[in-house]
Amino acid sequence: MGHGHWDDNAYAAAKTFRRAKGEDDFGYTADLRSKPAKDWKVAPALDPLNAVRECRDSADHTDSTPIAVLFDVTGSMRRVPRVMQGKLGKLHGLLKRRGYLADPQVMFGAIGDADSDRVPLQVGQFESDNRMDEQLRTIFLEGGGGGQKSESYELAAYFMARHVVTDAWQNRGRKGYLFIIGDELNKPALEARHIRRVIGDEVREDIDPASVYRELARKWHVFFVLPNQSSYYNDPEIGEHWSGLLGQNFLKLDDPGAVCELIAATIGLEERVVDVDRALADLADVGSAAESKAVGKALAKLGTKTVVTSAVPEAEGPSDVVLR
Amino acid sequence: MSLLDGHVVVVGLGFGDEGKGAVVDALCAGLPTTAVVRFNGGAQAAHNVVVDGRHHTFSQFGAGTFAGVPTHLSRFVLVEPFALAAEARRLEAAGVRNPLSLLSIDGRALLTTPFHIHANRAREEARGVNRHGSCGKGIGETVWYSLLPGAAPGDVVESQEVIGTPGEAPTVADCARPSVLRRKLDALARFYAPLATPPHSVDELVALYRDFAGAVRITDGDETGRLADSGRLVFEGAQGALLDQYHGFHPHTTWSTTTPHNARALLGGRPHTVMGVTRTYLTRHGAGPLPTESAAVLARFPEAHNETGEFQGAWRAGHLDAALLDYAIAACDGVDALAVTHLDATGLKVVPRDGSAAVDLPDPLAWFGARLPVAVMGYGPDRAGYRVAEARSTINA
Repeated sequence: MGHGHWDDNAYAAAKTFRRAKGEDDFGYTADLRSKPAKDWKVAPALDPLNAVRECRDSADHTDSTPIAVLFDVTGSMRRVPRVMQGKLGKLHGLLKRRGYLADPQVMFGAIGDADSDRVPLQVGQFESDNRMDEQLRTIFLEGGGGGQKSESYELAAYFMARHVVTDAWQNRGRKGYLFIIGDELNKPALEARHIRRVIGDEVREDIDPASVYRELARKWHVFFVLPNQSSYYNDPEIGEHWSGLLGQNFLKLDDPGAVCELIAATIGLEERVVDVDRALADLADVGSAAESKAVGKALAKLGTKTVVTSAVPEAEGPSDVVLR
Repeated sequence: MSLLDGHVVVVGLGFGDEGKGAVVDALCAGLPTTAVVRFNGGAQAAHNVVVDGRHHTFSQFGAGTFAGVPTHLSRFVLVEPFALAAEARRLEAAGVRNPLSLLSIDGRALLTTPFHIHANRAREEARGVNRHGSCGKGIGETVWYSLLPGAAPGDVVESQEVIGTPGEAPTVADCARPSVLRRKLDALARFYAPLATPPHSVDELVALYRDFAGAVRITDGDETGRLADSGRLVFEGAQGALLDQYHGFHPHTTWSTTTPHNARALLGGRPHTVMGVTRTYLTRHGAGPLPTESAAVLARFPEAHNETGEFQGAWRAGHLDAALLDYAIAACDGVDALAVTHLDATGLKVVPRDGSAAVDLPDPLAWFGARLPVAVMGYGPDRAGYRVAEARSTINA
């Protein structure tokens, strides 16, 4: 974890050879889908059960910044991981080449519905080399979901708050970046039985999702991205729900194909390396002219906000998750 | 029987850039062809083909690809998978469906890895103004490393000091054997560590090369012989006879046999035609002698598809040089026919004898034809500008 270098060329070559062999970019999904549903399970490398994920500095990367991208893999959202897979090289390249971040380390995860899915949560490891691509390809695109306009985002948020350790925070008091990409609501409560079954923590009482996001926001810049492809895109309830939890960090994105670009530009803004105009010009330079329009719209409100520098937090402060 | 009905070996008679790609394309488009066989060089080849407005600079794929002819990379070729993948993507963009399925590779072909490439660049940069005009693609380094087994640190092999303990050179067949490949790549990494370290881990390369081995057909035994017995082959030479490792002007040579000798070895005595390719003027990339060099020629014939390479240096041009042409033909042990490209060029001159002044050359085709039958005439970059003549051999027919 955290060693080695991302290389666009190697990434593209591997993708070319796999395509020539007729292999799907999501080979793990293709394999599982050929089996009966009762055999569907998370790939061991992505299993959150009793797991801790770390984002550590190394000799190669002395100023690591964690970036976690967790997407809803239910139903129509499955297009997003495919878009990510296709543009991953661009994301990492943009962050590094434009100097947005010195040592980005990226982790991918996937969110489903703990009430109805066999694989409701998958979390990879923070990587800075081409293993990112491998991780993404190992995500199981279950495509289920319950149809009750809610997914288990809060279960993923709980994992990120409690089971991720980063040198950025511990040594430098710097927050990481968490992007949740989805189109529905949190469950009304984070159920203790789901935490026990999926993550393995001995929690006995259900938890209020709002308190999970409050705890998470201490160590992470948390964004919720609602891409335009679901029937809920213009549903005011989704916007109110997420704005209530994350304030201005709820972003609506016209073009789901621009999700990679949005992540890069958001980080550039948050790091105050670029302003909106510069970020969009950078995107245009890497050949994302069409996407940069959608990104510009999504970022309009972020660009105008006053960035407040938080005091360096205590490294190991008390948790504020409220049990109820 | 026409000179061109059987196997044809296409070889450059200059310093490269003679137009071999266009000639191979014209030969493949003209008659049914089983395969284009590459018999030297590696990813540094750059053969431009233009067909109906489609353009591609062929590097590891054979220049018969637009004509739908598969490519076989023989055991004499150096294979670089990263560049191969990039080229496959460019070919796809140019409308070739699944280009990698058109490719077969002899498992004995040497593998050019990022270790070779980074070492090559480190050495060339250290030479400063005394650059050899290398393409920076690791070709010489790949050959050199393959000569080292048995050598010890401090030994001098081919005038280069051995900087560590060498291992066996990785081959294309190793890509399908991860444990063997890993052992060889570990040895390569250790060997080159004092000179240069590429950004890739051995683990990553093993995974990538395994994907590569799964995507192309790797052959063993005498695949070229099998292909030759099933139909007509066009052998595509890379670089030119004047850059040959034995006949070129050191140190400005390529570590490759650019003459037809490898192709003849692959043909194992089967009848064939050797076709030398030449422009109506001389060109070369980067450092090294070019006795008839002329700024006027360079200015008159700008190149659409050749430019200054970061490692290779400037594009240069000069008048035809009769002495060099005869020398190149002799280095090939004679050729059976000529292909003359850039016949659309006007105001040409030739230096008829070593040291004499350049004289006007109003009819280049007649001048070349007086030496050998001209079998392919090229008037322009597009395939439509090429005429394949019904030439009859005086030698092999």
